[in-house]
Amino acid sequence: MNKKTNTTLWLLTAGFAAMALMFFFDGFGAPPHRPQIPLVATNFLDTATWRRSYADLVAAKEDLSDFDCYACHDHKTPPPLHFDEHQNVIVAKEHPDIVMGHGSHGRNNNCFNCHNDANLEVLQTRDGKELKFTESTQLCGSCHGPTYRDWDAGVHGKTLGYWDRSLGPIVRKDCVNCHNPHSPHFPGRAPAPGPHPMREIAAPAVEHHPET
Amino acid sequence: MDIPNQSGANGGMSRRNFLRNSAVLTTGLAALAASLKPLMEMEDFPTAERFMQKYYKEMTPADMALVLKRIENEVEKQYGVRPHVRDLKPMDGVEFVYCLNLTRCIGCRKCVHACVAENNQSRSPEIQYIRVLRLPHGSMDIDKAEHNYNPPQVPEKGFFYMPVQCQQCQNPPCVKVCPVHATWQEKDGITVIDYDWCIGCRYCEAACPYFARRFNFTKPSIPKERLNPEMSYLGNRPRRQGVMEKCHFCIQRTRAGRYPACLEVCPAGARKFGNILDPNSEVSQILRTKRVFIQLKEELGTSPRFFYYFDV
Repeated sequence: MNKKTNTTLWLLTAGFAAMALMFFFDGFGAPPHRPQIPLVATNFLDTATWRRSYADLVAAKEDLSDFDCYACHDHKTPPPLHFDEHQNVIVAKEHPDIVMGHGSHGRNNNCFNCHNDANLEVLQTRDGKELKFTESTQLCGSCHGPTYRDWDAGVHGKTLGYWDRSLGPIVRKDCVNCHNPHSPHFPGRAPAPGPHPMREIAAPAVEHHPET
Repeated sequence: MDIPNQSGANGGMSRRNFLRNSAVLTTGLAALAASLKPLMEMEDFPTAERFMQKYYKEMTPADMALVLKRIENEVEKQYGVRPHVRDLKPMDGVEFVYCLNLTRCIGCRKCVHACVAENNQSRSPEIQYIRVLRLPHGSMDIDKAEHNYNPPQVPEKGFFYMPVQCQQCQNPPCVKVCPVHATWQEKDGITVIDYDWCIGCRYCEAACPYFARRFNFTKPSIPKERLNPEMSYLGNRPRRQGVMEKCHFCIQRTRAGRYPACLEVCPAGARKFGNILDPNSEVSQILRTKRVFIQLKEELGTSPRFFYYFDV
């Protein structure tokens, strides 16, 4: 065995011995700490619509006393409407949950555009057709034609269940499952948590764009 | 320069040399063994069964039945939950297309987390298939997108949201670069990954122009109570460390006729999915009647099966 081979062998041995020592005494230290990411709240996994329609309440056999109009109203005299100086309807204080906000133009300000003043327990379209509360989708469609057409084709609105109707049913949702008919615009809501970084990173510095 | 070694010159090995060389050899071997200690800590060594497993497309139904059994046993051993693992094949006359309504998306990120829950992604570190981009109104410039937005309420004024996930390209660059054919396009349009065939080279991650593919840098961690036991071989069965994964249109649901998880959870009804070969499906209707704005980065020629459209 010549000297060169010997030297190489000794060096290799020393190298491996050093690595062995490092591993045994954790010389490289612990791996970088990874923050434990909390599990997402289960309400973000819920497939339910955020609103329950009258039809849902009926199906679930829940308390419908809110819809018993003639517990307070009188059959003979339709409730009077009052307007403020901007021609916005003043909602009676007995209906604190109603916020009028249907349409961005503020002209859909009359309760009896949709409710029937002669019978408060039904709805009516502008051409006088009476509809039950469970048929409200047709009432919406009487003004929102293109949206109703899309909804009818499954293009607008939430769907659940089966895309292949031969294997199972599709679950369709009504307008009022998502939209509050008195204020149909979607309210804002808190977003689910965004992506977490692998490591803690400092907050990004405020960007400076020198105006040149 | 070689100097002849005098002690070993007369043919045999001297006692001194023998002892010295033995000492070097023993120390060296011990050190080598010790320095391989990190390998000893490696979990999840492939079993003989897994090592000898055939390529997905070469497996007979009997082979596959054995493999599914093995996977069920492995998952049960690891998570304490007996899963139901299937290998669902593409249906005839079906090609899947996804449509997403940019007018409706409110950026709530529920789809991101429904996807994680359905598809058994790692929770910490976090693997997510969907990224929701926030873009300022009046622009389609992806460079202006932000996915770390975190306001108290969405949607924010002046922005719109564009969720991005695997686009299930008709001409997928990720499939072309795979050196071992561990990823391929099925006839219903879904690009799938065989997690048992993937070698973790991450070429596909680099090739994907949509950043749709994710790599398991560590062993995925899924809490037992959040494990989805309804699994499929090419879909949401738990992955190992060192393999790629990505959105597969919830193959375990959609090949059984159901909608994907991200669609069902969407509170705005912005997501639409179906069979483009059926003229009465929702997606056919959308592509016929709506303003379909893009296939994302269509200039690349990847021809995605994921369409973004607008109302109005």
